[in-house]
Amino acid sequence: MTSSNASRRFAFAFGAAFALCYAIAVGWQLALFTVFPSLGIVLPGTVQSRDYADPALGFLAPAMYWYGWTATAALGALAAGLTAALVPQSWTRRLWLGWLWAVPLIAMAACVYFTLPWFRL
Amino acid sequence: MTATVLLILHGLVAVALLGAITHQTLATWAPASSPASSFFGRFRAVPSASFANAFVVLYVIAAALGAFVYLYFRVDVRPQLERDAHFSALGLFDLKEHFVSIGLGLLPAYWVSWRQPLAEDLRSTRAALTAIFAFVVWWSYLIGHILNNILGFGS
Repeated sequence: MTSSNASRRFAFAFGAAFALCYAIAVGWQLALFTVFPSLGIVLPGTVQSRDYADPALGFLAPAMYWYGWTATAALGALAAGLTAALVPQSWTRRLWLGWLWAVPLIAMAACVYFTLPWFRL
Repeated sequence: MTATVLLILHGLVAVALLGAITHQTLATWAPASSPASSFFGRFRAVPSASFANAFVVLYVIAAALGAFVYLYFRVDVRPQLERDAHFSALGLFDLKEHFVSIGLGLLPAYWVSWRQPLAEDLRSTRAALTAIFAFVVWWSYLIGHILNNILGFGS
């Protein structure tokens, strides 16, 4: 196994898995952490403002999930990338290279679907 | 003041990113026949592989600056846009953040596919990834521009 082949398998698995994990994280609200920028705090997991404050006061402590979704996707992708780099090359040779661009396109389409509620308001 | 400076920097890096990926995409998908004589021909005649490293660095810098400015946006700008019912614009911005993240995950694969000497078996992968990045960068630039201007000219 050459390092070049291993790095290629890591990068390709990481890219496809990142897109897949990101779409899952957004769809199922699986943020690794939640940022509250107005309070300057970060809490683990997906935390809604209304869980800790009166819903009418939620606007005072807006929650941000994007950083947490990205971190969740990075963790999942790292696991997939390392796995792909460590398994024998023969296991991954038959995989279609097109997954590398097809999965991100599907993930992007899923994100469009998750965003549709904004356009119905 | 800090947010304004960072936003301008973010915009300037985005312009460089836009130029790099547009050159590379056109040179990959519609390479110029030599010798290129027109402006459009010369635009496509660039050595596309030479843009890859610069693109990766610029993308990371633009994303990092955007991630930082996003904190200010969430607290100071988005509530005003919600109050004024600019919901479609907010939806478009959400898509921008999703696409940028997916792009971040694809950067290592993009870099590997453009690594010299270019691997012949990755020709179509390279072209597809470059096209995805062109879409992500153009989308992000245009939506960022709209959000930046929405409470000003044309509002």
